[in-house]
Amino acid sequence: MIDEQVFLDETIHQPTRLRIMTMLVAQSPSDRLAYPFIQKTLGLTGGNLTIHLRKLESAGYLSISKEFIDSKPRTWVEATPEGRQAFTDYLSNLVETLNWKPPP
Amino acid sequence: MQDVKRELTPEESWNTIHATFDRARASMYIAGITNILLFSGSLVALAFFAHYAIETLAPTFATENPWYPGVVWGTMGTLAMIGNSFIGHRAGKKVSEGPAARNAGIRVFAFWLTVVSACFLIPAAAGMWNSDSGDMIPGVTVGIIALGYILFGIMFRPLLVAVGAGLAASFYLPGHFAGDTALAFQGAATLTVCVLGALWLRKSSAS
Repeated sequence: MIDEQVFLDETIHQPTRLRIMTMLVAQSPSDRLAYPFIQKTLGLTGGNLTIHLRKLESAGYLSISKEFIDSKPRTWVEATPEGRQAFTDYLSNLVETLNWKPPP
Repeated sequence: MQDVKRELTPEESWNTIHATFDRARASMYIAGITNILLFSGSLVALAFFAHYAIETLAPTFATENPWYPGVVWGTMGTLAMIGNSFIGHRAGKKVSEGPAARNAGIRVFAFWLTVVSACFLIPAAAGMWNSDSGDMIPGVTVGIIALGYILFGIMFRPLLVAVGAGLAASFYLPGHFAGDTALAFQGAATLTVCVLGALWLRKSSAS
């Protein structure tokens, strides 16, 4: 049986982080998503989302920025070019894994 | 959806990517829908109650000025279009920033602009804009708006299908059974459907 871990990026290949990266990469390269929107869409607690965002940020896959709009703080999250490339590689490897069949 | 510690199989990863993509897209398209429902429901109920009040309290005025429902409903429709655009625009800016969010906003606006345009164009094409068949216009308009909610729900949030069906029932059932008090019942029923729909949407989004 093929060892899937050889092919799939472990940082992304985790249920919550995979969903976060999918949300971010599905946008245009210059798009960024609001923290509450990601939390609500994925049905996560604030603490859980923060932990996974930090892990992805430390891997260089996303960037987090804060700004004030109408005196209210807003946190934005966006995929970095490295994160997009990592996700593309992950998808390619996933497809390869799905297409892999054991030799007869 | 809670975090799962175990590893995903490749098939599960594939399905997760597709499900998340669909969910994220739908969430972007329905940004602000709860506030839009509450605002629209209040406006439509107000228009029904105003129409009912004029019919009941000033029957002479209503008889001498048969055009007044057009003013009531035309004002309501204009306010609803402007208000809903504003709510949708603000909600969109809160969830995302960039071309994808802008395109989603433009598509949603174009969808509802088409629905509202149909409310004028279809009765016009059917030759209803005259004193003989003008009474049929509200029924056609409500049917088109309900259909708009049903189509939007099929594409992005199935719960909105129930809202669309509820809006249609709120108009047609009192119109069939309530006689002279139909307008009051229609206003109350429309407001109830919109408030319940908004609460249900808000609750189901958080779960």
